[in-house]
Amino acid sequence: MSLVNYATREITCKIVYYGPGRSGKTTNLHYIYGQVPDDRKGKMVSLATQTDRTLFFDFLPLDLGTISGFTTKFQLYTVPGQVYYATTRRLVLQGADGVVFVADSQAHQLDENIESLQDLHANLADQGIDARAMPLVLQYNKQDLPSDLILGTSLLSDALNFREVPEFSADALHGPGVFESLRSIAELVLKRLSSGAPDPAPMAAAAR
Amino acid sequence: MNVAAVESWIEAPLRRYVDDARARIAVLLHPSGQVMAQAGFTRDVDVMAACALAAAAHATSGELGRRLDGHPFRGVHYAGATHQLFLSALETRRGTYLCLTVFDETSSLGLVRLYCEELRRALISAAPNAITARPTPTLAADFEVELNRNLAALFSGPKGAAVIS
Repeated sequence: MSLVNYATREITCKIVYYGPGRSGKTTNLHYIYGQVPDDRKGKMVSLATQTDRTLFFDFLPLDLGTISGFTTKFQLYTVPGQVYYATTRRLVLQGADGVVFVADSQAHQLDENIESLQDLHANLADQGIDARAMPLVLQYNKQDLPSDLILGTSLLSDALNFREVPEFSADALHGPGVFESLRSIAELVLKRLSSGAPDPAPMAAAAR
Repeated sequence: MNVAAVESWIEAPLRRYVDDARARIAVLLHPSGQVMAQAGFTRDVDVMAACALAAAAHATSGELGRRLDGHPFRGVHYAGATHQLFLSALETRRGTYLCLTVFDETSSLGLVRLYCEELRRALISAAPNAITARPTPTLAADFEVELNRNLAALFSGPKGAAVIS
């Protein structure tokens, strides 16, 4: 649910990084946090276990600056990837304006990627959201690993990208693909907002 | 006292609530964690992070309530050494909002709960009857240029990645 404050000319959007456990969702946010100047980001909040696995979510507010006269802010969230945190994922997904699905390119993780993508669609449906209406970007992470361990992007695309959404090869630990994924989802979300299409989430309008 | 709201009809009830309940801070937020309005000494607090955490606490307590009590718990109270917080869901015609209230020894939980209920009633009566058509922010046709420039400024020297297909 994008919030548009006409009095202060401010737009706030919620982006959720989704995907199976250990696919690199938190790593995406850490990389972004490390690259962005201090005056353009808030504090990163991580609710994690003692072993740094995401327990509830990571949260990073970003100030994208002025776009068409609107101060544009993005709130980036991750969900916990492990299967047994299904309830938490549903809660974090609430009110999302866009989703970056972070897939793990390792060959042995293919089933987990597919299961997580199905889980995303099921959770959106539970909230009355047509998954096809939700801005979505696919990121094939860990493409820096040895080629015998990972699936190529065309194979991953065949398995996961049946909606033909923007997709990116990535190495979130070192940066390639992180910026491009964020740029792409930001563009999709703002285009959707500008076009006047209804929110993907069936909620009360908040703009005035 | 600073008051800022996304929707102007929220301002007066929230300002009055902070005064009456003698709260330090009151923030009205959407259950997804988005800030709708804030009032009080909010410069002391990272409001966005507080709202993300408050939404999580509300969701967690609601789910716990459903599992343990058959119904979601409607309010949460945390007491610290100097400050306390009360988090409550408020149903209005415009949907459910959460109210995060921070208070100290100049107020009390009873007072905050009392006026939180008044705030709920005030919001119900102040809310516009119908949800009017949502205005659309008019972004320039080439807003992608500004978006790209701003993102490039955020990531000084972004490393390239292959865009597939």
